Parts: sequence; C-alpha cells; structure tokens
Amino acid sequence: MHALIIDDSKTMRSILRRIVTELGFDTTEAGNGQEALDALEAGLVPDICLIDWNMPLMDGYTFVTRVRADDRWRNVTLMMVTTESEHGQIVRALAAGAHEYVIKPFTPDAIIEKMELLGLVAQEVPA
Amino acid sequence: MTVTLEPSLGDVHAVVEEVWSSFLGAEEPILPLATPMPPGGWSAAITVSGGWDAQITVNLTDGAAQAVTSTMLMCPVEDCSDEDLRDALGELVNMVGGNVKSLMAGSAVLSLPLVGHGDISPGSHLVEVCRLELTWRGEPVVVTVHLPPTADPS
Repeated sequence: MHALIIDDSKTMRSILRRIVTELGFDTTEAGNGQEALDALEAGLVPDICLIDWNMPLMDGYTFVTRVRADDRWRNVTLMMVTTESEHGQIVRALAAGAHEYVIKPFTPDAIIEKMELLGLVAQEVPA
Repeated sequence: MTVTLEPSLGDVHAVVEEVWSSFLGAEEPILPLATPMPPGGWSAAITVSGGWDAQITVNLTDGAAQAVTSTMLMCPVEDCSDEDLRDALGELVNMVGGNVKSLMAGSAVLSLPLVGHGDISPGSHLVEVCRLELTWRGEPVVVTVHLPPTADPS
C-alpha cells in the first residue's frame, strides 16, 4: 500500500508519515498540490492521498478537483487533513470527491480510524 | 464550543490545549500560568481575511520554540535548524489559527503562516481582543488574537 502525503509543512508530513508507516504504508511526499499532481502524472499510483487544504502553488481543494476530473486516478482514495473546519468547506471538499475529512489537530487514532472506515487498514476486532 | 463574534479566553484556551495535547504530548500540558516573557524569542502568526479580519499569534522563547520543533519532528534539539523551527511553528499557529477561525461566525480564509525571530506586528486596523499567557515546560508561551475594533452600534 502506498500513501501520498501532500502538505507544505515538512513537520506535518513527518507526523503523517510516522502514522501511516506504522500501518505498513510506503510513502511519497509532496509540498503542494502541483508537486503531487506531477508525481501522479509521472506514474505514481497511491492507494491514498492525505491532503492539506492551504498550500502555495496549488491548494488541496484544487488538487482534489483535478484528480477527480481524470479517470486514470479514479481508484485513488482522497482524504483531506486540514485546519479548515468551516462546514461549507467540508461540504465543498466532499462534493468535489474527497472521501474523508480530518481536521487538525488530530490524534494518530483519528487517522487510523478513518483509514479503517475506508477499508485501507484492517479494523481492530475488540477483544 | 459555541460560535461567537469574538472568541472567549476559555474557547481559545481549549483550542491551544487541544493542539498541544495532540502534537506535543498530553503528559506535558500547557498550563494557564503566566511566566515573564524575556525579550527576543520566536513569533508565529496567521491572518484571517474575507468575511472578517484577524491575526492569531503565538510567541515563544527560543527554548520553547526548540522544544516544540524537537517534539513535533521527533529529533534532538541540536538537530533542529532554524528552517525546522519556522516550519514547526508555522504548523502550530496554523492549527491554533484555523481552530480559532472556526469559533467565529461567517466565512473567511486563512493565510499561510508567517514565522520569525522577534515580534510580528498585527495590522494597524486590528486590536488585541484575547491574550493567553501560558507556561509549557517552564517556558512562557503567549497566544493573542487581534480583531478589528467592534463597531459602536450607537
């Protein structure tokens, strides 16, 4: 499994990388939506993209619309991970094709739970 | 949390506590205890514009800024560059600012963060409406919210 982590903050990419690596994912990182789109155009096929909203050059919302407009990437799961928590923005992102929306700050468990819901990680069976 | 026209100290404190406990460890909470802030240190600010204007700023000592960066990046303090500090503090104020924005009514847009050594002045049309003086790991941390002055309805 492969995760593409898209955030202009190296710190946040590092935090997300630690979480998904623990889940067994390989990772690629991009500092903005354009870099991420370039990686997809170059042939990267991630199982999931973790996407910040506010980034220079291309924001996360634009990235989602660009990915969803291209059939090559129809199977890529898109998860917003952002401080943007206005209801209207959440609705916009989901309507544009994001599958999940996580608001920063988050705990590792919040990311893991969303990935379980998306079927990318096996759900823990209660003892 | 409730949606208000001006964020209360309690709501801003709750936001700061949530950011700190999520990313800097719940075992070392940020305390509502004023510690004198020495001159210098780091400032990280983010502005809100659109439906309304604001600036949210976090001021930290060099020691607190290094500890934040080291904890978030999980690397020794001595390995953290100034670029690392700018990045970590930018993400910190991004999370505080984004969640303070969510306390306010109306739609608005967050800027990218601005981080530097020394103070970051808010826009001249903004006044301080909220100031939290806190302590983390024995070091002072100050969080301020600046908004335009409330229009006098009379």
